[in-house]
Amino acid sequence: MSDWIHRIIAPSAIIISAGAIPCYATTYLTVGQAQKICFTNATQFIAADVTLTSEQRKAITKDSGVRVRLDTQKVWRVQNGDKFIGWFIQDEVLGKHEYIQWVLALNADGSVRQIEILDYRETYGYQVRDEKWRAQFYGKQHGAKLKLDDDIKNISGATLSSRHIADGVKRLLSFYELVLKK
Amino acid sequence: MLRLGLRPHLRSEPKIRRCRPLLGTFVEITASGNAWHRLGLNPALDLPSRCSAFHEAVDAAFAAMKKIQNMMSAHDPASELSLLNREAAHRIVTVSRETYEVLRRADRMAVESKGAFDYTVAPTLARWGLLPATLQCENAGNWRDVLLLRRRQVRFLRPLTLDLGGIAKGFAVDQAIEVLREHGVASAMVNAGGDLRVFGAQSSRIHLRHPSQPQQFAHRIELAQAALATSSPCFTEKNLHGQRVSHLVDSIRQTAVTGVISVSVRAQECWLADALTKVVLNAPQLAQKMLAKYGAEAFVLTA
Repeated sequence: MSDWIHRIIAPSAIIISAGAIPCYATTYLTVGQAQKICFTNATQFIAADVTLTSEQRKAITKDSGVRVRLDTQKVWRVQNGDKFIGWFIQDEVLGKHEYIQWVLALNADGSVRQIEILDYRETYGYQVRDEKWRAQFYGKQHGAKLKLDDDIKNISGATLSSRHIADGVKRLLSFYELVLKK
Repeated sequence: MLRLGLRPHLRSEPKIRRCRPLLGTFVEITASGNAWHRLGLNPALDLPSRCSAFHEAVDAAFAAMKKIQNMMSAHDPASELSLLNREAAHRIVTVSRETYEVLRRADRMAVESKGAFDYTVAPTLARWGLLPATLQCENAGNWRDVLLLRRRQVRFLRPLTLDLGGIAKGFAVDQAIEVLREHGVASAMVNAGGDLRVFGAQSSRIHLRHPSQPQQFAHRIELAQAALATSSPCFTEKNLHGQRVSHLVDSIRQTAVTGVISVSVRAQECWLADALTKVVLNAPQLAQKMLAKYGAEAFVLTA
């Protein structure tokens, strides 16, 4: 009967790779693909990036309770012919362990239409905040990392909280109210 | 000759991966396969068009999971579960088919595990600050006090609050798989932060994260036509007034499950795998019997 439970003791003995696998990344959608998915009826996406002044950043932080980290926000006005049908906003959040590119699609009235994750990069440990440490993975985006991608993509074990995205939504809705809408 | 004409499409079968924040975690859906005939598509369609049919299927699967979240979230005051938690101790409440289905399964797991799986631990989790404070409840009843009546009617015999966190996520994964199948997707994986299920001809390789060193992978499992769910206190464990607590309640001892341990269960369906992880954690002896009964298997990782 005890065969039903495999007790795996001292996992260091059976770790598959030689060392830790410090990083894995997944690209789900390109910006262009996400645009098509969020607005199937769109005919045009007009780039309308916004550079935030420090006053605007402070105002958004105050309104949303979430710190504004970047001073440029990538934004597209979405059109169906002559008709304005919504906003498409690209953003990134840096969580505790993960680095996420995502988009928020808003309807013309500013309500949330859709959220899609574009790219998800997960790193662990104290090194996460170390830019130099993180930089070593950027260079590998086109070569070695892709191979890792294929091999290590399905992970079970940690439930990663999506709270950082929820915070990002709050921040971008304040951005819409205080900056885009005007 | 017709087969020859189809060859290019076999080579370029659509495969898409999408991810959305849902159920408090990141839900990833992978759909692939050459199911154009079941999708009702013209085989002459180009790859982007067939991909767009896949995106529609994945959109529908996400929507099904969102529906489960809206009905069964203990955090959302507008959910059906919150309605139960507020009112079922005072009157009979009629719930949706989905919520009733999950309650019936939760009840079955509680009965069979003699309470090692317990969906009435919400007051304890609320006291530990892991669920909204409104779910706290003095002298709360337990799973034996939940009456599931005919016509999807529910009544609590004593004041209590429910949390379906230990089973509803798995159920949502099952629902998403069902939707993808209905849409003619040939093979797919739905992964809701470690509660996952695959279907289709090919097996998938799943990496289990090591509980104390999440950057390391401790074990690899091949999964085909099955579900895998993992429970571990390692990512929610915290100190509370000198006491160690986590989101996993040892319902028999009324304490938190803590320490370097991670339990993964492979079963046919994800709700079952999800629920059985709690039985393995809280009642390992009994768990062996239940795992055997359901043709399931557990992987226990410790330090």
